[in-house]
Amino acid sequence: MKTQISLTVNGRRRDDTVSDNLLLVDYLRETLGLNGTKIGCDGGECGCCTVLVDGRARHACLTLATSCDGTHVETVESLAAKGRLSAIQRGFNEKLGAQCGFCTPGMIMAAEGLLRENPMPTEDEIRAGMAANICRCTGYVKIIESVQAAARELAQ
Amino acid sequence: MEYLPNFQVHRPGTAEEAVKLRVDNVDARFLAGGTDMIVNVRRGIERPSDLIDLTHIGELTEIREEAEGIRVGAAVTLQQLSDHETVRKSYRAASEAAGSVAGPTHRAYGTVGGNLCLDTRCLFYNQSEWWRSSNAYCLKHRGEVCHVAPGGRECFAAYSGDLAPAMLVHEARAGLIGPDGRREIPLAELYRDDGMDHLTMAPGELLASVLLPKETADIPSGYEKSRVRGSIDFPLAGAAARLRTRDGVIEDIRVALTGVRSWPFALTGTDRFIGQVLDDNVLDDLREMARTQSKPMRTGTVAPWYRRRVVGALTRRLAARLGA
Amino acid sequence: MNAPVAPAGPVKSIGERAPLVDGPEKVTGRAKYAADYRSPGALVGRILRSPVAHANVIEVDTSAAEALPGVEAVVTGQDCDQTYGVLPIAMNEYPMVRDRVRYRGEPVAAVAAVDVETAQKALDLIEFRYEELPAYFTAEKARAPGAVQLHEKKPGNIERHAEFELGDVSAGFAEADLVREETFQCAEVCQVQSEPHATYAEYDAERDRLTVWPSTQVPYYVHLMLSRTLKMDQSRIRVIKPHIGGGFGCRTETLNVEIICALLARKARGAVSLVISREETFITHRGRPETQIRMKLGLKRDGRITAVECDVVQRGGAYSGYGVVTVLYSGSLLYAIYDIERIRYNGFRILTNTPPPGAFRGHGTVNSRFAFESMIDSMAEELGIDPFAVRRANLLKAPTFAANDLMINSYGLPECIDWVEKASGWRERKGKLGPNRGLGMACSHYISGASKPVNWTGEPHATVNLKVDFDGSITLLTGAAEIGQGSSTVLVQCVAEVLGIGMPRIRIIASDSAVTPKDNGSYSSRVTYMVGNAAIEAAQNLRSVLIDAAARRLEVAPEDVECLGEIYRAGSQDRGLEFNEVVMEALKDTGTLTVKGTFDTIPESHGGKKYRGAAIGGTMAFSYAAQVVEVSVDPDTAEITVEKVWVAHDCGRALNPLSVEGQVQGSVWMGMGQALCEETRYHEGLGIAGNMLDYRVPTIMDSPPIEVKIVECADPHGPFGAKEAGEGSLAGFLPAFTSAVADAIGIRPTELPVTPDRLLKLMEKKEQEARAQEKRRKIA
Ligand SMILES: Cc1cc2nc3c(=O)[nH]c(=O)nc-3n(C[C@H](O)[C@H](O)[C@H](O)COP(=O)(O)OP(=O)(O)OC[C@H]3O[C@@H](n4cnc5c(N)ncnc54)[C@H](O)[C@@H]3O)c2cc1C
Ligand code: SF4
Ligand code: FES
Ligand code: FES
Repeated sequence: MKTQISLTVNGRRRDDTVSDNLLLVDYLRETLGLNGTKIGCDGGECGCCTVLVDGRARHACLTLATSCDGTHVETVESLAAKGRLSAIQRGFNEKLGAQCGFCTPGMIMAAEGLLRENPMPTEDEIRAGMAANICRCTGYVKIIESVQAAARELAQ
Repeated sequence: MEYLPNFQVHRPGTAEEAVKLRVDNVDARFLAGGTDMIVNVRRGIERPSDLIDLTHIGELTEIREEAEGIRVGAAVTLQQLSDHETVRKSYRAASEAAGSVAGPTHRAYGTVGGNLCLDTRCLFYNQSEWWRSSNAYCLKHRGEVCHVAPGGRECFAAYSGDLAPAMLVHEARAGLIGPDGRREIPLAELYRDDGMDHLTMAPGELLASVLLPKETADIPSGYEKSRVRGSIDFPLAGAAARLRTRDGVIEDIRVALTGVRSWPFALTGTDRFIGQVLDDNVLDDLREMARTQSKPMRTGTVAPWYRRRVVGALTRRLAARLGA
Repeated sequence: MNAPVAPAGPVKSIGERAPLVDGPEKVTGRAKYAADYRSPGALVGRILRSPVAHANVIEVDTSAAEALPGVEAVVTGQDCDQTYGVLPIAMNEYPMVRDRVRYRGEPVAAVAAVDVETAQKALDLIEFRYEELPAYFTAEKARAPGAVQLHEKKPGNIERHAEFELGDVSAGFAEADLVREETFQCAEVCQVQSEPHATYAEYDAERDRLTVWPSTQVPYYVHLMLSRTLKMDQSRIRVIKPHIGGGFGCRTETLNVEIICALLARKARGAVSLVISREETFITHRGRPETQIRMKLGLKRDGRITAVECDVVQRGGAYSGYGVVTVLYSGSLLYAIYDIERIRYNGFRILTNTPPPGAFRGHGTVNSRFAFESMIDSMAEELGIDPFAVRRANLLKAPTFAANDLMINSYGLPECIDWVEKASGWRERKGKLGPNRGLGMACSHYISGASKPVNWTGEPHATVNLKVDFDGSITLLTGAAEIGQGSSTVLVQCVAEVLGIGMPRIRIIASDSAVTPKDNGSYSSRVTYMVGNAAIEAAQNLRSVLIDAAARRLEVAPEDVECLGEIYRAGSQDRGLEFNEVVMEALKDTGTLTVKGTFDTIPESHGGKKYRGAAIGGTMAFSYAAQVVEVSVDPDTAEITVEKVWVAHDCGRALNPLSVEGQVQGSVWMGMGQALCEETRYHEGLGIAGNMLDYRVPTIMDSPPIEVKIVECADPHGPFGAKEAGEGSLAGFLPAFTSAVADAIGIRPTELPVTPDRLLKLMEKKEQEARAQEKRRKIA
């Protein structure tokens, strides 16, 4: 079964015909070539595939592409404006919030969703807001520092 | 790239259309946030021919304050429910329980209806197709034996939704829409203690809303959850309670549990505490009551005896918190 | 041409908190991992796995699958009759089963098809017929008399019995004032690096060439094993390392995924992407084995250790893998942290019908360190000595050699111990934290690279090339595999420091066999030490070439040239030459510059010969770490919260303090996962925790603040004095944690992980004993 969908991905409007059983993560990676979004588990357990759909964090691995008809989807590729890192990306880069980098796109999108709702989160709020994302490298200490650095930069 | 069986997705605008699509096709399934359904489809536990997306049905997506109480649409997200001001103030258990489901991302699109209609869980069942086929499947799905209790013909998969016990202590009512029209039942009647078939809904029926009734508003309530990790994990056991005391004497009490049987259920016999002083003896009795009415089986990686112990501890702690 | 500005002097890179050189790729999503490689027309690979744990293969019938339209290749054990394995002495694994299945999930066949749907259908069409054999899922059952042998040459299913006795251990125990013995049980754990295994392979049928992008830590081993298993000349193979989503040891060995993908690509005569699921990644395993340890210690009243006896049994899984090395490390690394002479060790590695473990961060040491530190801690308590004092009573004095001849040239453990004692407020706070809260401490160490490589070829341990060309940029070519640990960054820092130039002038290409020098890969914390030294030597060589060129241009003697990084000048009055000018001069007669640096370990570091396998543990330098862990225990639910960790790590010299902190935090935290909640489990050999819900990697909610102190006890041979930073502090967490639990509630768990059910059982047992005692007291 195939369905015609219209949506915007990273600010660009798209009209695509997709299989009903196509997952958003495969649509992004395979159909659109947006490889930034990662797959780290067999469904909903790691957060590597986190993207924003209409501004809210969502697992692209548990979302059907057809369900995104009429929505705005944002992935990690959307953040750097004119080639400059966004505040969150800079935070993760400078504070070593990314080691191997595999959890990073999902982490960054979770942080993006969090900071849009709560621009100055406390440490506890950062923890609560990022608690669906697993990182195996950092022990999270520097991830928290990265988000804090980004929040400070955005506040200026 | 993930292999998923072929299915057709529908996006009805009304509940009636959704019901019709479901009735027309035995292999159709409802899809809300998909945080459980898509996992199960990926694992071959569900092989739907059609998925009926409920998230575009207007009446299912609202929280409305009505004369009888607060009506929560089934497609409202857990985050919306947890953050809703009146719910936070007057139905604390529901807010806490919704806020404890999975992780923040799941709650941002996982729904109330999906949580209440969540499938039961078992470590012999929530596995990949390859895994289950290598293990000769099990009674609940395609197989002949139960690996948890090999002698019997019963399935003990644990109901593991967080929200249901909270809704039970608020004495929520379930608004159902089916081929024969609409009806409203106490939420408790939505469930039965059968791991294979724990929902009582008629074929084709959908859960449209839950009503948090006026009568139980503002009674102190809360939810306590046991899990190994502080996020993502399903409850090993969960306890919700509503408890009002005056001068230390219990005026109103209701406790409900999850994770420890195939259904979420309210403790029976708690009425006998009404009129008693909420002291250590009563708290100990409550703990015992929770333990004895639980029947966790080896459906998860954590020992069942622990889940039984901990559900008692949670119940006691919660009652003490609410009584303080 | 602009006149050079007043020279600012050489730029400093070493010791700077430099962000990763590949950070921008990672935070923008541009970094390409193995699963991100695909080309139009690339096929999808899928693996059929055995449903049974132990069986003789009767037949794998693939005819129906091959006939399915869209299927381009089907491979089985028949397509590869060569074994592979990480140790040349123990290669007994085939990429797909031939005669015998030995664990559930072992690959039986694989397909490459035009899309996933077809690939899946093809797998369903393969018929696998087998005859089941008795299967053994515990070391005990596999060792039992009469058990069927998993491998022909391994009677009793013993992969390796490692034993030694140094010094008179019995006399040591006789001298002791206190002798105690205890058994410890550590569950099997898995790396669960974020990226599931993946390989992309392209076969060029016209020229019989193969290019592979594997998710590996050691591209060189993949190269060797592909050549061996595919029977292709090494020169026809090119291995390019993509970005790697962690590894922590499981990707040190060549994995069946990599070989199967290459076999498929060759048979399909095209490109194949083979990305396996998280569950399959768990099955591929190579984690830390389930381990049982009996530890016996003798202590003098002053805390001095008189003798150690340690028996270890590891459930080794179905194939050799790293087994021999793991079980040897578990014994040899009882040395080189404290001043101990007399140790008796008995280690068994047992073959079982479970997925094979491998090298996991802190390879071989972690579980024995847990047992050892637990013992010394509880025995000190019994003797009325505090945990710090007992460690201080047994310190080494560097430089020295351990009793098993391990070379120790730098030893910052005393400073580490001092710092964690102060920072944690141990003296003021210990015993005053209130009920159910406690502090514990422990120490640990690790090697900076194994001094003898697995594949001994006589080449230097590490080679780095620098290429400098007309554009004035420097390209650093290394085979060292950047896997997220920051090796590329640190190598660029080393070169930048020697040349005094800014890091942006240097680009690094890491691990492309067609371009970069061979390297033994990222394991046993060897890269910073060994490849760092090679990078320094290369940079020094380049510097003298540039100085010679500058001397020619300036018409002075080379000794008179001062290198300020971007400026080379002759005397402080000289306006000097810009870097580009110097490069142009240097290129004049020779063209493009390529200089090389190498590194070799010294013979003294190769470990001893006192017992069979004594070389294992030999290293150029040991890192040392001490940590204090603070926990609270919920008395009702037995849930443990790790409140805070203070850790001091002696890494010789922090080449990049930001990276060192990140590595130490990651190590401590990974130790926490093993101590608190992680374990693989099997139902008749079928992994029941083959997902990230049941295998519980700690979330951000469970993860404490980790305060890191970098102790810099410079190593004489280390690059700028540096040593290992990415593994040594892992092992200490486990015993520090259980001793904190002991401090909090008076129970010292000896079984890991300390899940709430395990702890509650211990708590209830203690209560019962207390009640029984009370009863007896009353009766009396
Ligand atoms: C990693 C992970 C962790 C999780 N942890 C928890 C946890 O801690 N606690 C917990 O409670 N849950 C947990 N879940 C399960 C799930 O995320 C939640 O229960 C969620 O609320 C389900 O809602 P949904 O909208 O996504 O449901 P869906 O997946 O869309 O649906 C779930 C089921 O309900 C049916 N359904 C949905 N809506 C209706 C309706 N209106 N009427 C009739 N049937 C309906 C569907 O057909 C399906 O069978 C977890 C899931 C994952 C992947
Ligand atoms: S309890 Fe038994 S029947 Fe039910 S899911 Fe588990 S194994 Fe299957
Ligand atoms: S890939 Fe793990 S949550 Fe989506
Ligand atoms: S940086 Fe490697 S998993 Fe987070």
